[in-house]
Amino acid sequence: MTKPLVAIRSVSKSFGEFQALRSVSLDVWPGEVMCLIGASGSGKTTLLRCINQLAMIDAGGIWLDGELLGVREQSGRLYRLSEREIGRQRLKTGMVFQRFNLFPHKTALENITEGPLQVQGRKSDEVRAEALELLRRVGLSAKADWYPAQLSGGQQQRVAIARALAMKPMLMLFDEPTSALDPELVGEVLAVMKELAKSGMTMMVVTHELAFAREVADRVVYMDQGAIVEQGRALDVLGAPREERTKAFLSAVI
Amino acid sequence: MIRLSLSLGLAVLATVTSAQAAELPAEIKQAGALKLTVNSTYAPMEYRDPATNELVGLDVDLANELAKRLGVKIVWSETPFAELIPSLQTRRADFIISGISDRASRRETADFVDYLATGPQFFVMADNAAKDATDLCGKKVGTTRSTSFPVEIEKWSKQNCEPAGKPAIQYVPGENSIDVRNQLKQGRIDAAVQGSETLPYAQTQEPGKYRVVGEPFAKGYQGIMFRKDDAALREVVTEKLTAMIADGAYKAVLDKWGLGANAVAQPMLNAAPQ
Amino acid sequence: MKPVPALAEGFPDLSGMRIAREPHWFRWLSAALIVLVLAAIVRAFAGGQIEWSYVSRFLTAKVILEGIVNTMVMAVLAMALGIVLGVVVAVMRLSPNPVLKTVAAGYTWLFRGTPLILQLLLWFNLALVFPTIGIPGLWSARAVDVMTPFLAALLGLGINQGAYTSEVMRAGMLSVDIGQYEAAQAIGMGRLRALRRIILPQAMRVVIPPLGNEFIGMVKATSLASVIQYPELLHNAENIYYANSRVIELLIVAGLWYLLVVSILTPLQMLLERRFARGTLRLAR
Repeated sequence: MTKPLVAIRSVSKSFGEFQALRSVSLDVWPGEVMCLIGASGSGKTTLLRCINQLAMIDAGGIWLDGELLGVREQSGRLYRLSEREIGRQRLKTGMVFQRFNLFPHKTALENITEGPLQVQGRKSDEVRAEALELLRRVGLSAKADWYPAQLSGGQQQRVAIARALAMKPMLMLFDEPTSALDPELVGEVLAVMKELAKSGMTMMVVTHELAFAREVADRVVYMDQGAIVEQGRALDVLGAPREERTKAFLSAVI
Repeated sequence: MIRLSLSLGLAVLATVTSAQAAELPAEIKQAGALKLTVNSTYAPMEYRDPATNELVGLDVDLANELAKRLGVKIVWSETPFAELIPSLQTRRADFIISGISDRASRRETADFVDYLATGPQFFVMADNAAKDATDLCGKKVGTTRSTSFPVEIEKWSKQNCEPAGKPAIQYVPGENSIDVRNQLKQGRIDAAVQGSETLPYAQTQEPGKYRVVGEPFAKGYQGIMFRKDDAALREVVTEKLTAMIADGAYKAVLDKWGLGANAVAQPMLNAAPQ
Repeated sequence: MKPVPALAEGFPDLSGMRIAREPHWFRWLSAALIVLVLAAIVRAFAGGQIEWSYVSRFLTAKVILEGIVNTMVMAVLAMALGIVLGVVVAVMRLSPNPVLKTVAAGYTWLFRGTPLILQLLLWFNLALVFPTIGIPGLWSARAVDVMTPFLAALLGLGINQGAYTSEVMRAGMLSVDIGQYEAAQAIGMGRLRALRRIILPQAMRVVIPPLGNEFIGMVKATSLASVIQYPELLHNAENIYYANSRVIELLIVAGLWYLLVVSILTPLQMLLERRFARGTLRLAR
């Protein structure tokens, strides 16, 4: 049996007095497209940010590709990893943010080449060629030398996806990628994400786009108040939810 | 001894003022006070006592005695050295008694009643090797830049170092006499120049630290400075000063500050040589 | 379905009428008063005890011009030192390392908490505390020889400026959206690299206009170095009036030059502001 790409075991996280995650356990399999849904404050974004260590968990463990994240175990105690090692672990994931977070002082192409050049120290011709290919893949070859301010929201998000892909991650994390977009721009981003899913990338997507989830997700996970309430195939969770809370949530958003 | 001379002085005052009181300018008589301003960073002439922060000094004592004999009070103010002459010209001060030298260049707009012998004097740290003033040729010598001393040093250097085939003195500016002594202590300058009237005080403050080199190299006088058009006030003050010298009040003040040797026989008008 | 009703009666068509101009009586009155006051001041200056011939004679004197050059050289160098220190200290202040944070906070507290003139005097008289300075075994020298008026002024002005600049820089860095930092982290950048490549360049856009303003202040702050014998404009003007007693005339000469320099720098600084504001406005969506 193959191992899960991400193994989350009894993970808890609080912000001050607010408990964002309550002993959550979850597996994500290679090539799987998982959509996380739920109300704001349900913990779905926090879970994502724990996987790429933008937030540090308080208890439990997360393994990515078999490696324990953020800490190392020695003689029965856990020791925090150095900033450098955490940075290295982050290279295995790529994240796409709700507000794109493109570097405004760099062109689209430069945004994409920044990571490979600066962090991975790769050669610039290779990196440039790959970046142009990624831009083509997201449909923005013509905008290589444009600045983020000159691009629409949908275009910026697509560049952001290319930027994350440039690092060749094994897992892509999407934190509400279309929530900040005008409705007519959502489609172009979802199209890129569908293509990515088809190409076999393992994806965890926090989203409100239930149609997208129904179409592309292998598994849908509904979270509420820091815990997983229900999970399963998109058909089942979205079409015939078993839990009351899931039903209540879905009827409120549809 | 001082009380005797004071009571003697009062007797003189009684006779003199009754005859001369009419000569004190009207505004001063009306105000009942003299407006005087001093640069209070010049011990022992005028400075603030570090313990009590009171304004004290040889000039302060002389002025207080003069005012007593004139039958008026004094309203003191303080100002930087460079502001003394403007203060006189703008009538902020009635006259200036503030360790200021009588110099020809200053007589364009003022008259001096000379009351104390003085002259720039070289001095060094006690452990300095210099014996004669010419040992200072080619060395760094500092003095307060707002005084006439920088020019004096240059003149002396031309007259004494050049002919001896020695390099000229290197002048280093300082903000005031304390700054200059500070730079001497740190070794930024090899020697300093100050008015000879300040050195006995400096030596009592910091005994054994400094050593005078040579004699004061330009004879001059400290003068009480008056506006040119203020002859009446000038004559009144000269009279009182003459009386003070005659009855010993003047000498008493000088001795109190260790400057008995700088006394003059009588006040002189614009008597400094240059 | 109801048809849309016709417009109601009783509201006339005003589109043909123009709005009358207000006379603004009070503005005219106050302007006239101000002109009168200014005229009185000019008259006082013209008729006062000022010998304007001295002003014109010394306005372009060699010593004065040297003073201006020294003023500007010191202003530029001290400002550069202040900016470098400001960036370093700001980064230290935002570090997770408590030692660095405390040192940075201490530096800012000390140099913003004491008057600049005091700092200049202390630097100049350093030899009273450290008669010799140097690196043990490698090089040593007398402090008085090293601490020239130029160096004392540079250190005094620059290190003082650094304390103020660090606060400006810190505000600038905190003003950059945290999402930028997270995006940098997400592609594997460490804290320092993210600061250098992503945060600082964006912070500079916010920070450069106030720094331009600080530079104008620095030009005038150099005048304090006159008390430690640095031959800048004020010092040289003072030397002239120490010799010829023309105090106010020389102060006017110095004042006019400072005014000229600042008058040139101010519109430049406003141009700088507008250029960088345009940048950030363009970035805002």
